[in-house]
Amino acid sequence: MDTMQTQTQAATAVQAAAQQHNEPSWLINKRLAALDQMADLPMPLVQRFNYRDWELMPGNLQWADSKRDLAQVADGPVQIVQVGQTTVRVNLPEKLQEQGVVLTDFFTAVKDYPDLVQEAFMTKAMKSNENRLASYHTAYLNAGVFLYVPNNVVISEPIDIQLIQDNTLDQPLNSHVLVVAGRNTEVSVSQHLTTVGENANLANCLMEVIADENSHVTVATLDELGRKTMAYVERRAYAADNASVNWAVGFMNEGNTIGNFDTELNGVGSRADAKVIAITDHDQRMGVNTKITNRGKHTNGNILQRGVILEDSELVYNGIGDIIHGAAGSEAEQENRLLMMSSNAHGNANPILLIDENDVMAGHAASVGQVDEQQLYYLMSRGIRRETAERLVIRGFLGAVLSAIPAKAVRSQLVDIIERKLENGR
Amino acid sequence: MATLEIKDLHVEVTDEENQTAKEILKGVNLTMKTGEIHAIMGPNGTGKSTLSQTIMGQPSYHVTQGDILLNGESIVDMPVDERARKGLFLGMQYPAEIQGVTNAEFLRAAVNARRAKDDQISVMDFLKMLDKNLAILDMSEAMTERYLNEGFSGGEKKRNEILQLLMIQPSFALLDEIDSGLDIDALKVVSKGVNAMRGDNFGSMIITHYQRLLNYIVPDVVHIMMGGRIVKTGDASLAKRLEKEGYAGLRDDLDIDVALVDEN
Repeated sequence: MDTMQTQTQAATAVQAAAQQHNEPSWLINKRLAALDQMADLPMPLVQRFNYRDWELMPGNLQWADSKRDLAQVADGPVQIVQVGQTTVRVNLPEKLQEQGVVLTDFFTAVKDYPDLVQEAFMTKAMKSNENRLASYHTAYLNAGVFLYVPNNVVISEPIDIQLIQDNTLDQPLNSHVLVVAGRNTEVSVSQHLTTVGENANLANCLMEVIADENSHVTVATLDELGRKTMAYVERRAYAADNASVNWAVGFMNEGNTIGNFDTELNGVGSRADAKVIAITDHDQRMGVNTKITNRGKHTNGNILQRGVILEDSELVYNGIGDIIHGAAGSEAEQENRLLMMSSNAHGNANPILLIDENDVMAGHAASVGQVDEQQLYYLMSRGIRRETAERLVIRGFLGAVLSAIPAKAVRSQLVDIIERKLENGR
Repeated sequence: MATLEIKDLHVEVTDEENQTAKEILKGVNLTMKTGEIHAIMGPNGTGKSTLSQTIMGQPSYHVTQGDILLNGESIVDMPVDERARKGLFLGMQYPAEIQGVTNAEFLRAAVNARRAKDDQISVMDFLKMLDKNLAILDMSEAMTERYLNEGFSGGEKKRNEILQLLMIQPSFALLDEIDSGLDIDALKVVSKGVNAMRGDNFGSMIITHYQRLLNYIVPDVVHIMMGGRIVKTGDASLAKRLEKEGYAGLRDDLDIDVALVDEN
């Protein structure tokens, strides 16, 4: 069978599945266009990290219900819970509904709010033709969430998005979380990614954040996809004038994972802060790009990444600060630090500054090291056992990022996950 | 009553640069019991810090001969944390700074390290004990919420060492130049802390260059170290004599053949 024919068959299959799903023609066309260009696009570049042989694009678009009782998640005041493609519950207080806030599953939003979705989905924060995985994502999208905050609405309660990959089934999770924050809004989102079931599947999870003028969006994530999940996690934001986007990513996936976190500071005076914590163990491999692009004047980007590498695992942190010509008066700072806990661990902390403007401030710091023996000796000289001493030093190492995570619940859950990983990973 | 015996102790350190071993301690003998305060004095580079670090178990120091006995049991093969749980404490000249771990959290971990798993100190008891000891050392409660030694001034670090001493309540405290870099007020406070520990269940080995500290913590025994050995032992008056005559004078009196590092 030649490529042309395979391509046509794939298109026919995607079209049939999307039609069966009663999707509007704009979305079907978007899927097909993405599918068409896939082969010509490059894979996302993760410097110093080779994932050429990873199977990241299983080509099947199918609809399947998951058992609702697979979602063992405590009820939250403002919350959406999905297991696989199935939305288990949506809690949106009446007051927020009256203000026009939308929190629903992606495909419901496509039906009920077509204009809002069509305007924002893969148009601003990222586009389908950026790389092959983004276009794969668009073509084979099978789950997702839509959050819309109308102009001038301030939401004090964090919005809890719980996505559970259903590995009791044999299908990839291609999930898209679309967050649209209107002018002068304030919203904080927490996203929790987990896995149930023992099958090996792909997770291709994207999040787009559109932060309109003078909006303030905070996203805290706990990524805990299972060991048998190969994951591509991409999170993108677009910031308009005077908008701010703050990321705190707890990258705790257990399987091989690529992370791509990218914020475009388009508007004048917009700001972004990206904090990433990762722990790798076993023979896991993880590559992370965290990028902030300063496009608007007087924009401010700050990247802070810390990672702990246990056992035989590998973790690569690329911090990318890209200052575009014309972004005068901008600042780009980054710090990438890795701690290796075993002699078989591999780590790379790689600061990349791309600066095409003179009137800017930019700085970076990077380090890859082992636990400081002097610190351990000091703690142990007080009777503290080596394991406990190591845990304290590691916790301290991650502390700079941990303490900056605004959502207290997320922070304490993250501390628990870290303790558990350190307990097991030795 | 607990005892700490140092017998014919020879210690080497390995020079990292040229990988050669250098003998620092050349046969140290010393016995101390709880209830006693011993001062170790001596010129620079004579092995005082090496002695305290070796007793505590710093891995860079290698015992090539002799033994260290705590209550009759040899500890030279024990890791540092085990020695600490058996009752040793080292107040360090240069305490490590540890980001992200609060002083209070660390102190609690240290106190609990000596207690059985089912007998961990309660938060209330811990705070009561902490408040009492902070008051002795004239330290503010805010110090306990700061990260361990991070950004502490020299004086604050020394106070913090003594705070740990008071919290951990070891049998023997080795205090390595606990007076260096302290002004007179801080020196008094630190001395007050050590004196608060004095009693039948506590012994201390105080390493110092200066007699001044010994005005505040009066020792029962004074040892003078030179060239990796203890060359003279006496009572508190020995320190006073040293203050007058200097190490060179003592060396010549004793007719010892060692070069003093700072001698012109």
